[in-house]
Amino acid sequence: MMQKKVCMLGGFAVGKTSLVRRFVSNVFSDHYHTTIGVTVEKKSVKVDDRDVMLVLWDIYGEDEFQRVRESYLRGSAGYILVMDGTRKATLDTALALQQTAARTIGAVPFVSIINKADVRSEWEIDERVIEQLRERGWPVLFGSAKLGQGVEELFALLATQMVSAPSFPRD
Amino acid sequence: MNSRNPEFTPVDESLFNRVLLTLDIAVLERSEDGSAFHLRGLPPKWWRLCFGLAEATTLDSNRCSPFLREYLMNPHPVWENKTGEIERSGPWTESKEQGGTMTLEATALSVGSKNLLLIERLGSHFEHMRDIVQRARERMLTEDITTKSYRKTQTRLIGQLEVSERTKDDALALLQHLGITALVLDERGHVTFVSDRALEMLGLGSNDVVGQKLERVLPFQEQDRQLVQHLLDGSSRTGSGGPFRLDRARPQWVEVEIHRDPLHPDRRIMVLHDRTEIHALRQALNEQASFHDLVGKSPAMLRVYQLVRDVAQVDTTVLIEGETGTGKELIARAIHSCSGRKHKPFIAANCAGLTDSILTSQLFGHKRGSFTGAVNDQQGLFEAAEGGTLFLDEIGDIPPPVQTALLRVLQEKEITRLGEARPRKVDVRVVAATHHNLSEDVVRGSFRADLLYRIRIARVQLPPLRERREDIPLLAHSFLSQLCTATGKTVDDLSPDTLRLLMSHAWPGNVRELKSAIEFAVISCKGRDILPTDLPPEIAAMPVAPSPSTWIPLSGQDEKSKLLAALSDAKGNRTEAAKRLGVSRATFYRRLVELNIHPR
Repeated sequence: MMQKKVCMLGGFAVGKTSLVRRFVSNVFSDHYHTTIGVTVEKKSVKVDDRDVMLVLWDIYGEDEFQRVRESYLRGSAGYILVMDGTRKATLDTALALQQTAARTIGAVPFVSIINKADVRSEWEIDERVIEQLRERGWPVLFGSAKLGQGVEELFALLATQMVSAPSFPRD
Repeated sequence: MNSRNPEFTPVDESLFNRVLLTLDIAVLERSEDGSAFHLRGLPPKWWRLCFGLAEATTLDSNRCSPFLREYLMNPHPVWENKTGEIERSGPWTESKEQGGTMTLEATALSVGSKNLLLIERLGSHFEHMRDIVQRARERMLTEDITTKSYRKTQTRLIGQLEVSERTKDDALALLQHLGITALVLDERGHVTFVSDRALEMLGLGSNDVVGQKLERVLPFQEQDRQLVQHLLDGSSRTGSGGPFRLDRARPQWVEVEIHRDPLHPDRRIMVLHDRTEIHALRQALNEQASFHDLVGKSPAMLRVYQLVRDVAQVDTTVLIEGETGTGKELIARAIHSCSGRKHKPFIAANCAGLTDSILTSQLFGHKRGSFTGAVNDQQGLFEAAEGGTLFLDEIGDIPPPVQTALLRVLQEKEITRLGEARPRKVDVRVVAATHHNLSEDVVRGSFRADLLYRIRIARVQLPPLRERREDIPLLAHSFLSQLCTATGKTVDDLSPDTLRLLMSHAWPGNVRELKSAIEFAVISCKGRDILPTDLPPEIAAMPVAPSPSTWIPLSGQDEKSKLLAALSDAKGNRTEAAKRLGVSRATFYRRLVELNIHPR
């Protein structure tokens, strides 16, 4: 079976672990439990009738306490940038991480998701900014790990992009 | 699951194993080609839970977690270059074979020629570090929520403030556009707002007004201030009053409207109406037609007004001469009101018909027991008028003993109460009046010459009404207005015939008689205008429009001729002759004596 390493990137408490747990185990907890280090989960998806095993590297959230090691990104076939719609600062973190990822592993497929769509009225990231992200070529999805909205679509979209992406050796 | 590495032969294996167990670390040696990792020494207890390997076996990379497998596959400078440093993988979560997870961390290092891999289970120290990071992040999230809530509240309040400011600006612009002269007062009477128009009217800047007490901004006279305060204290929603005088370099007159602030009942909105110009015009009009309570704009009266102003500026005694009913007391009051004594008492005393003892007691006071009925010490009118003006009417009728005492008072400025020996200092201006010819009284010996000279330092002669007939309509309308106000009766005017009758009458009783006639007519009047039939019979019965020449000059040969002619026309009937001349019978008789006419 085809395996694809996928890194979950984003600031702390944006919901990376929650998205992975919702996707892999279909569970959600309101309690925030910070990730230290890396947790790897796996789940297979079908892309054009082909089984693809997604190896999901749930990497700790980046902040002033922890910087994401570039070595963790190596070998990734794609990555997911997660933002918290209620905290505009997580957009800046996502922008910085995307640059780090592009520098480290090149132009591999990625998808961004603005999480916490269940509290859309409290979002600080507005439509104008989202439009600017799309203009930069970012696929932007909206989702809620809490409600399970947009989760399957997120991983399915990335899997499709990874499968269809040209394969070339990476360092 | 391969064989033991033959090159690894610890010096004391049991010690090495005890160290490893104590540190809870697994030690693996990397083969030279990097394809295998062999356990060295005893693995920790947790090793089996994750990797299921036996002691002294080779690590099966297929059973490793993706994280560890990738770490092992990746190049590590410490193994390639043998730098002697160490390289950590960072923590990762490894699933146990029986379920559950544990957090591990790998360390690559090189010792001599050997490349080693240490795998450590992160225990309580790591959990403690995790707790710290967890708390720090939770605190950041909490602060973020708090900040957001604060910003949201701030945004809401700024929005409300902007709306409020906009509303206020709109209201203010409207107010300024309307040109309303308004002030807003807080519950302490301090000005919190003033319109541009009000600043313009007061000639002040905003800083001179806002925050100040009202009385500093609007310097009303004491009496007016009390009235304004009464309006401000009033319980009604609105109130108005004025005009009130503002004591400023250029006096202003304002009418005041007080409104309760509908939102804050303790606050007041004061609207001012500048009435200075109207007041000035009204005053100019009044000055032409009246002076204090005197009415008339004839040249004779205008001269009297000016004389009163002049006399008021000096503090001498004044003698007012004029027939009965001409308004001598009003002149005395006007002199007092225009003088520097205006805030002190004005006392009027009629000296006619009183015995010398009663008049003495009245003027100078008495001591208890000084005469029968003097049961208490009593101050006289001089003492009562201290600092002010004492008006002595009919001074020509004062008995000689009182004249002497009065002369002493005027000279020494002190009085002695009846029954007392101790004189008392008095500061009183004396204004005297008489209808007598005091010079003649002096000649006749009924009045002291020295007293005359003392009281006649300044003199005002009031013309009889017949000598200022042009004032009759003005006087008549003035009395009509006063009487209608007093009685509540609605009488609009005097008919032309009535006015002609009034102009023709001789008015021996002067203005007093005219006032009585109008009062009579108002009572009698049944319509909106006073008709001739409403007037007293002696006036109504007179033939209309007698010649103005019927009135008699005060002196001269012509007067004598007219008196004789009137007597002749009346066939010697003196009453009829007096009537024809428009004078009283008493005056007619007096003038006959004065002009030495002896009718048969």
